[in-house]
Amino acid sequence: MLRSCAARLRTLGALRGPPGGRRLPGREPRPALRSFSSEEVILKDYSVPNPSWNKDLRLLFDQFMEKCEDGSWKRLPSYKRIPAEKIQDFKTHLLDPKLVKEEQLSQTQLFTRSFDDGLGFEYVMFYSDVEKRMVCLFQGGPYLEGPPGFVHGGAIATMIDSTVGMCALMAGGVVVTANLNINYKRPIPLCSVVMINSQLDKVEGRKFFVSCNVQSVDEKTLYSEATILKILAREDRVEG
Amino acid sequence: MIRRGFQVAARLGHHRGLLGAPRILPRLNPASAFGSSTDSVFSRFLPEKTELKDDALPNASWCLDMLCLYQEFLEKTKSSGWIKLPSFKSNRDHIGLNLPSGLAVSSDKGDCRIFTRCIQVEGQGFEYVIFFQPSRKKSVCLFQPGPYLEGPPGFTHSGSLAAMMDETFSKTAFLAGEGVFTLSFNIRFKNLIPMSSLVVMDIEVGKIEDQKLYMSCIAHSRDQQTVYTKSSGVFLQLQLEEESPQ
Repeated sequence: MLRSCAARLRTLGALRGPPGGRRLPGREPRPALRSFSSEEVILKDYSVPNPSWNKDLRLLFDQFMEKCEDGSWKRLPSYKRIPAEKIQDFKTHLLDPKLVKEEQLSQTQLFTRSFDDGLGFEYVMFYSDVEKRMVCLFQGGPYLEGPPGFVHGGAIATMIDSTVGMCALMAGGVVVTANLNINYKRPIPLCSVVMINSQLDKVEGRKFFVSCNVQSVDEKTLYSEATILKILAREDRVEG
Repeated sequence: MIRRGFQVAARLGHHRGLLGAPRILPRLNPASAFGSSTDSVFSRFLPEKTELKDDALPNASWCLDMLCLYQEFLEKTKSSGWIKLPSFKSNRDHIGLNLPSGLAVSSDKGDCRIFTRCIQVEGQGFEYVIFFQPSRKKSVCLFQPGPYLEGPPGFTHSGSLAAMMDETFSKTAFLAGEGVFTLSFNIRFKNLIPMSSLVVMDIEVGKIEDQKLYMSCIAHSRDQQTVYTKSSGVFLQLQLEEESPQ
């Protein structure tokens, strides 16, 4: 069952994308963290400003939205869940929420969207197909703490992995992570905004080599650098 | 244990005495391999107040494998010098000390949570417990990823796995040598981890030099037949300052 599921429901996990529903019919749904009506949850796009977004994040958002005007950049909408059957058409449905139907929704919840506004991951991603570049504007909230006052290294790793995964997804297809290598230069203060820039470096067969850096909004401070190897998914195993 | 004189306490002007419930302390004997600096790090790690909820305790969501191994390690805390680390909702409850001035950030953030305890609903997020053996600078983390950590359908999100590993490295580095910040981190993913199954992480501290702690980790299934990941981490040592009286 897993193999056929994996074949249909290609991985988005290494990416920020929501996982498909592998649950068997008849299984009880888990209680949602929030008590929204299911319809509201389907259609709500989380990659738009909300009251918890600070000034830096809004400013950067506006700057990138301007870049989208001529079509060279695209803003990626971000949902809590995505219907299982639509996973293979992920790219299309990612960009057209009207195609999402309520009854096809899975009950699983995306990890990076499991928090109330401002408490966890606040982010939006923009993609340039020409440059094969994914930029994620990220504000880490108080539930992501590591050393007191700073974002947990693991939360940074999660966002790097998600951003890079989306980059590989848009450039090639659904992938799993094979190697993740991060150098932390400076700790990121909690509730500050950073830009995660990921760039597809090369493709060798099913291997996608992506590099990434995390910078301050003025690009003067380098917080982390990473190199990641993603593999185009096949069945339910990671190769390499 | 605190009554042993150690130079480090004098250096820190440290008066916090007293360690929490005896069940948390290792059983010491004079031939113990504990260094004096380890003792003071432990005493800083364990808060005086003990009404904080320890999340690293069995609950109804723990699978059988996890419960069994937990029991095995609990036995080792009585006989072989292992310690079960308490795990609180916020790192500030553990460390309770200021980072060196120049690094400290104003903490007006309200309710902060350590990332690996961000999801407080039983069984949904990170279920884990860390055991540490000071004499050999080794630790073991028993980790059960919940449904909110799903990545590929039925399997664990690689980011959440990276987070768990970073957290275990972080606590190990802190107790083994006052490591505080991650400098670098490398993970090789070998096999996907089925959702809600037990992952056993074995961590060893290698060398400590130039203010850096080097650690390695292998995450595997309980029967050791499947290796999930191999990873390594380097942490920066920092001498923490004592908390100023309020």
